[in-house]
Amino acid sequence: MELGPILSAMRRNKVGAVLIAVQMAITLAILCNGLFIIEQRITLSQRPTGTDEANVFVITNQWAGNPPDLAALQQTDLAALRALPGVVDATVSQSFPLSGGGSTDGIGLNPDQKSETALSAVYLVDEHGIDALGVKLIAGRNFNTDEVVELHGFTDRKQAAAAIITRALAEKLFPGQNALGRPIYSLGEKKVIPIVGIVDQLQVPWVGASGWGSKFSEQSMLVPFRFVSTSYHYIVRTKPGQLIGLMQAAQKKLFEVNRGRVLQKTRSLTEARQKAYQDDIGLAIILGVVCAALVAVTAFGIVGLTSYWVAQRRRQIGIRRALGATKNAIVRYFQTENFLIAAAGAAVGIALAVSLNLWMVNAFEMQRLHVGYAVVGAIVVLLLGQVAVLWPAMKAASIPPALATRAV
Amino acid sequence: MFSYYLALALRSLKRNLVLTVLMIAAIGVGIGALMTTLTLFRAMDADPIPQKSRQLYAVQIDNWGPSKSLPGLGDSENLQPQISYTDAMALMHAHAAARQTVAYVTGAALTPANPDLRPFQVVMRAAYTDFFAMFAVPFQFGGPWSAADDEGRADVVVLSKDLNDKLFSGANSVGKSINIDGRDYRVLGVLSRWQPMPKFYDLNNNQFGTPEEVFLPFTRAIESQMSTWGNSNCSGSERDAGWEGTLRSECVWLQFWAELPTAADAAHYREFLNNYAAEQRRAGRFTWPPHTRIRDVREWLTYQHVVSQEVRILVLVSFSFLLVCLLNAMGLMLAKIMGRAPDIGVRRALGANRRAIFAQCLIEAGVVGFAGGLLGLALTGLGLFGLRALLSEEAARLTDFGFVNVAIAIVISILSTMLAGLYPTWRAAHVQPAWQLKAQ
Amino acid sequence: MLKMTHLSKAYRTEVVETFALRDFSIHVREGEFVAVTGPSGSGKTTFLTIAGLLEEFSGGEYQLDGANVRGLNDNQRSRLRNEKIGFIFQAFNLIADLNVQDNIDVPLRYRGFNAAERRRRIQEALGRVGLSARSRHYPAELSGGQQQRVAIARALAGSPRLLLADEPTGNLDTQMARGVLDLLEELHRDGATIVMVTHDPELAVRAQREVHIVDGQVVDLAAQPRLVATTSAAANT
Repeated sequence: MELGPILSAMRRNKVGAVLIAVQMAITLAILCNGLFIIEQRITLSQRPTGTDEANVFVITNQWAGNPPDLAALQQTDLAALRALPGVVDATVSQSFPLSGGGSTDGIGLNPDQKSETALSAVYLVDEHGIDALGVKLIAGRNFNTDEVVELHGFTDRKQAAAAIITRALAEKLFPGQNALGRPIYSLGEKKVIPIVGIVDQLQVPWVGASGWGSKFSEQSMLVPFRFVSTSYHYIVRTKPGQLIGLMQAAQKKLFEVNRGRVLQKTRSLTEARQKAYQDDIGLAIILGVVCAALVAVTAFGIVGLTSYWVAQRRRQIGIRRALGATKNAIVRYFQTENFLIAAAGAAVGIALAVSLNLWMVNAFEMQRLHVGYAVVGAIVVLLLGQVAVLWPAMKAASIPPALATRAV
Repeated sequence: MFSYYLALALRSLKRNLVLTVLMIAAIGVGIGALMTTLTLFRAMDADPIPQKSRQLYAVQIDNWGPSKSLPGLGDSENLQPQISYTDAMALMHAHAAARQTVAYVTGAALTPANPDLRPFQVVMRAAYTDFFAMFAVPFQFGGPWSAADDEGRADVVVLSKDLNDKLFSGANSVGKSINIDGRDYRVLGVLSRWQPMPKFYDLNNNQFGTPEEVFLPFTRAIESQMSTWGNSNCSGSERDAGWEGTLRSECVWLQFWAELPTAADAAHYREFLNNYAAEQRRAGRFTWPPHTRIRDVREWLTYQHVVSQEVRILVLVSFSFLLVCLLNAMGLMLAKIMGRAPDIGVRRALGANRRAIFAQCLIEAGVVGFAGGLLGLALTGLGLFGLRALLSEEAARLTDFGFVNVAIAIVISILSTMLAGLYPTWRAAHVQPAWQLKAQ
Repeated sequence: MLKMTHLSKAYRTEVVETFALRDFSIHVREGEFVAVTGPSGSGKTTFLTIAGLLEEFSGGEYQLDGANVRGLNDNQRSRLRNEKIGFIFQAFNLIADLNVQDNIDVPLRYRGFNAAERRRRIQEALGRVGLSARSRHYPAELSGGQQQRVAIARALAGSPRLLLADEPTGNLDTQMARGVLDLLEELHRDGATIVMVTHDPELAVRAQREVHIVDGQVVDLAAQPRLVATTSAAANT
């Protein structure tokens, strides 16, 4: 293919060529970063919590009228829930994964530490906690009944008798060592908390891509407390397939036990996941739509401008055809022309994509763009150009050689 | 001449219908994307109380010192967004601002008088009476409680419009009584619709959520040991058990706002805060130099990153997208105008000066921009509809498309298209009138 | 009416400077019908573009209707073109998008006439060329001769002081050409000043006076054998 004539023709259509190249460059930059963000958000939204998510639901209970002896009411409720056929186990907690609200503790390795070794989400549960959440104990043991004590609201100041921590937290606290049986401290407290068990995984309650919890999303601990307060969550795990029915039955049962309450919200962890990641998925979809629209606009822009060039060069093309150029040669001419423009655009675009990403890394604490995205983006843009130019190029190829003999 | 150019523009657009449709579509899509995200952005970035946003200040006091902090919670200045009960009470009693209030969010179960109705949960805000005047909270019936009620820890409440509608079918309920957590409270006032966006006075949770349903005196809430439903941060410091222990602790869980009408007032208040911190240092509670800050509403919203990262990304992306669309339209306009060069040459020969050609082409660009803007508006509607379906209820609340946005869309569309049309137009104006004679 | 003295026009490229017109002098008086002839590349068209203020010249003087046009800016030249000059092109140069009356309307718009005045002038010009019935036709719906007559109507509508015609019959067959030429002669009889560029000696003789250009200069026709003009007639512009 002769590049010389193509380049000189492009030089005459400088502005048009530059416009297309710049469009392709920006398209590439947005496409790379857009796809990167989409992939990140989707990955984020699919992270497992470490619980038996499909079979767990949560009832948020609020006592009305300030009844006395909340602890006894709670025990009655739990007994009733556990007695429901199909329920594997039930527990009570101040928080749960995917809820977006919970408690954090700074964990230290000795009592005099000023700043924490690791941050950890704290779930207050009784000895049924592991079973009710469906988390997998990989070392040590569950809480003993005598370790579980009542904690009356957040103002109660009791130190946990034991802790079951996640594998990730263990690794953070004791890298490469066995954490089981090791002592840890809640920052500022003198009382040692022994690690009695390690669970494979249990996510913190906060799931955002950034913000609180994003830096320690797998560092959680269970501590043996029965959380007694006017408002808390019952966490119920059911046998497979019985979740939907039991969500209804459980609420009904609780009202049978005691009417003086508000069941503020009852949802499965699956629903909680949907809600927790709604804005992430939303962002991914919006970006997807924008990327698709962007590709379409760029493609139509190329079609429009190339069609114009074809129209402008009709006579010239006719003469070429008369002088023996095949239809293929004409199509190839426009394809080569577009390839050159797109290649220039892609080169600029990759640079633009990387700098855009670097800026976002700074401004939004985003991750570095994977090189693969730039390469894929460049290929997409080059192909896009080839596809878009095909139609006008075919039109050009269909110009009859006889045109050369006619007057304008 | 404008109407002549307009007629010419329409005629010209009709002639190259495909190019015209491509241009309008490109601009419409670009404007649609931009306005959709801009609507979100503007709602997030809105001034919730424009008449007073420069007079209301959020107060911060460093009661933890430089050595203690929770990473990710404090800012680069190592300040917490909330303050402790000890400091809040000291500031309330000092009364150093024209108006001031401490506040926090709590909640409880409300038991309706009708025994057939089940109890339900209400979200409550504990505050001082100044809260209502400071934040220009509108009343439908009655009014706020008095300073004496604050002093006397009175069992009084102000209800939101929605709650009053629910409990009393919207009737004037002033003087009636409601039962919250087993205690009776007398209704003193009912708000009319009030929805500051963002909910600037407490940005810890649900920054775009609805205000609380029940307002009660802070002193009453403390007395009744209503624990916070918002954020509470205790930097690992020793604290005693029980409610009293929490009140005495250095946990930060209260918002504090001061109304300072003039710059001089603000300066005085800064001085007052530093004096207070210095005093605490002398008393041995703080072991570090005074570290306090006041920020007005606008500064506070910026400081609290109210505009989310996601929306910033979207606005950035949609601006780039519009840029691509405009470059696209520019290329098409260039093609179109160059295709019309012979006609322009004839017009020039017949006496049109450069300005006339320039005006003619620019008006044509403007018409394309206007049409693109209209299409953009339709697409914005579609986009916002999509957002409402996709996003959480809280985020979806930000998708109200106001009349101002319509104007903004049209103006942006016309101006940007004309801007993109400048180069093609300039080229058109420089078509040589003689060209036509020679080109045969 | 039109007076050029020692006028020159140079086209400059990177390498060479070529003169399209050199020491070019011509004087057309009010009411004259002058034919400008010459072989291809002699500078006829350059002369016409300069005379029509479509291009600037490099040296010498040019007076149009008593006014020196040297150094006028684009605006002033545009206005002069609009008010004083009517163009008749070889390719008619009607605007395809506009119908007959809108084509004639173009220079009147730039002149700033009000609607009533424009309507009157359009009617009058169309009447002159005998196309009153075709005012709503589009150029594509007219024959070549009719199109050229519309172009002439457009040139006349602004009552110019000078008509410049560039091979006005070049794109027409003999019969249509005769009609157009008859029209030009009629306009001349009515007092119009016409400068017509042509390579066709038969056309040239219909003019009052013939000015011959060779290599960018006016040559004395009397001193040249008539043959030169006829041989060059074979060349095309």
